[in-house]
Amino acid sequence: MNKRILLCDDEAHILRAAEFKFKRAGYEVTCARDGQEAWEILLESRPDIVVTDCQMPRLNGLQLAERIKQSPDTNGLPVLMLSAKGFELSADELRERFGIRHLLAKPFSPRELLERVEATLASEEATREAEVYV
Amino acid sequence: MFERRSLSLLPMAVLAVACTALGLAWVVEPLVAPVSLQVRVAFVIGGAALVMGAIKVALRQAASAATAAEQYVARLCELDSDALHEEEQLDRTPVRREDARWRELCQRVRSRLCEFARQADEVEMVRAGVEVRLRRVTSERDQLREILTGLSDPVVAVDAFGEIVVANGSAERLLNLSGTNQGSRALEQLDRCQELLSLLTETRRRRAPAQRTGELTLASADGKEHCYRVSCRSLAQQTEGSAGSTERGAVAVLTDISSLKAIQKRNAEFVSSVSHEMKAPLSSIRAYVELLVDGEADDDATREEFLGIINNQTDRLQRLIDNLLNLARIEAGVVAVNKVPQSLNERLGEAVRVLQPMAESKDIRLVAEFSELYLGVLADRDMLLQAAINLITNAIKYTHRGGTVIVRSRLHDKETIFEVEDTGVGLSPEDSQRVFEKFYRVRKDREMAQGTGLGLVLVKHIIEDVHGGRIELESELGRGSTFRAILPGLAQISA
Repeated sequence: MNKRILLCDDEAHILRAAEFKFKRAGYEVTCARDGQEAWEILLESRPDIVVTDCQMPRLNGLQLAERIKQSPDTNGLPVLMLSAKGFELSADELRERFGIRHLLAKPFSPRELLERVEATLASEEATREAEVYV
Repeated sequence: MFERRSLSLLPMAVLAVACTALGLAWVVEPLVAPVSLQVRVAFVIGGAALVMGAIKVALRQAASAATAAEQYVARLCELDSDALHEEEQLDRTPVRREDARWRELCQRVRSRLCEFARQADEVEMVRAGVEVRLRRVTSERDQLREILTGLSDPVVAVDAFGEIVVANGSAERLLNLSGTNQGSRALEQLDRCQELLSLLTETRRRRAPAQRTGELTLASADGKEHCYRVSCRSLAQQTEGSAGSTERGAVAVLTDISSLKAIQKRNAEFVSSVSHEMKAPLSSIRAYVELLVDGEADDDATREEFLGIINNQTDRLQRLIDNLLNLARIEAGVVAVNKVPQSLNERLGEAVRVLQPMAESKDIRLVAEFSELYLGVLADRDMLLQAAINLITNAIKYTHRGGTVIVRSRLHDKETIFEVEDTGVGLSPEDSQRVFEKFYRVRKDREMAQGTGLGLVLVKHIIEDVHGGRIELESELGRGSTFRAILPGLAQISA
């Protein structure tokens, strides 16, 4: 079964480029233009991974990630973040507080983003299998 | 000396001799001659009368010398120093030469008085000199105190005993120092600000003269937090009793650097915004270039679409950089402003002509409603045109197809006004407040048109800072906006 990915960015061109890349890689892609829209989509369907921009209207990337982490329905859903801004928070803090697995700086390479997403999904898989085995 | 005294004694000596002779005659009468008793008595009485008269004359003479001397001394006592010196020169002692004792006394008194007068003159000169110096020092001190009091920078000085000796008004207000008796204020009163206290104490305890600086944050009287840079220096004063001690006085000057900090923060935010604004088109360019390079676009249509996006985003980047440079150059005053009297209507007409094709392509009616009067403005031609173009472009961008944009000009109260009214999307009150901020773009309208968030900033700068006018904005969400530029009229400028 195809992996499902939710892409979230307020820049239409960025969204289009990422969507194109993931569709070509065989993903089932859903797009959202801001955090709020992404959250509404998440309430209805459950993707395998979320890639979100940070600065967005209504609900920003960090708020979205926090909401995903705090809600029992979505907790554990891997989130990758793209950002044009540097962060004061360390990678550990981002993971602990917001459940963000990885931070990619803009301008980003779609190829690298795809690799990151696959690696994250693979490690998720491995963890799940390990849990099942235990 | 002897001669004078003998002269005054002469009559008395004659009388004494006469009396002695008569006495002898009385005693030796039987031996000498048979003179009658009456004659002898008459002799004795006559002699005695003579003696009495002589004594009286002598006494009167002595008394008159004493009186003269007394009067003279009294007069001397009343003289001022100049008259005393004159008296000394001329020697007008009213005592006769014969009364040598009184004369000498008078002269001694006079010379002592003259000496005192001389000493008094010297003392007076010294006193006058001291007074002049004191007056100078006092005025200098008052001047320094006034300067110190007038300083907006708080200044606090402590002496070697750890007591606050100087604290100007702003320091008192900032540090809550109470009491006007400065000497009694211990350093510990600075407990409101431990950093300052420790900085002053540390500086005082240094063996060698020291200068230390620090930064601290304090809430000022208005309740706002202010950031201060403290410059602390030891005072090389030698106070009595402190000679042996290693402690000195110290002075701390606090400089409010809040505005500097705010500028630094704004600059950092600006750089951050600029880089964010630049990264957005760069991200797209990089992503699509990579997709193309990786051969992800199979068909010509997709390739064309990607190339179109790349082209588009490159333009966006170019526009952003141009606008940034323009704004930076105008703000820094690098661009020469060449203000000449000119017709506002002409410039507006030019702008409308330039933008007519843009309006037509969006099916928007661009209407010019200019005043029939000649509206003279003292302005830089290019900048004024740029401001008009930016306002009209903005109106066209945020007005839907089929809408109307009206450019008006008029004279009102000697002010020259031009306004751009549209039937566009309008602005919320919050957005109206922020629309002149750098890089601010109304989120919900971002997709309507491309922009850098710098166009209106530039307009505001050109109208207000360069031309001394002002910008007004009336807007209603969903109904449209009117941007109004008010420029001082020519008559107003020359008045």
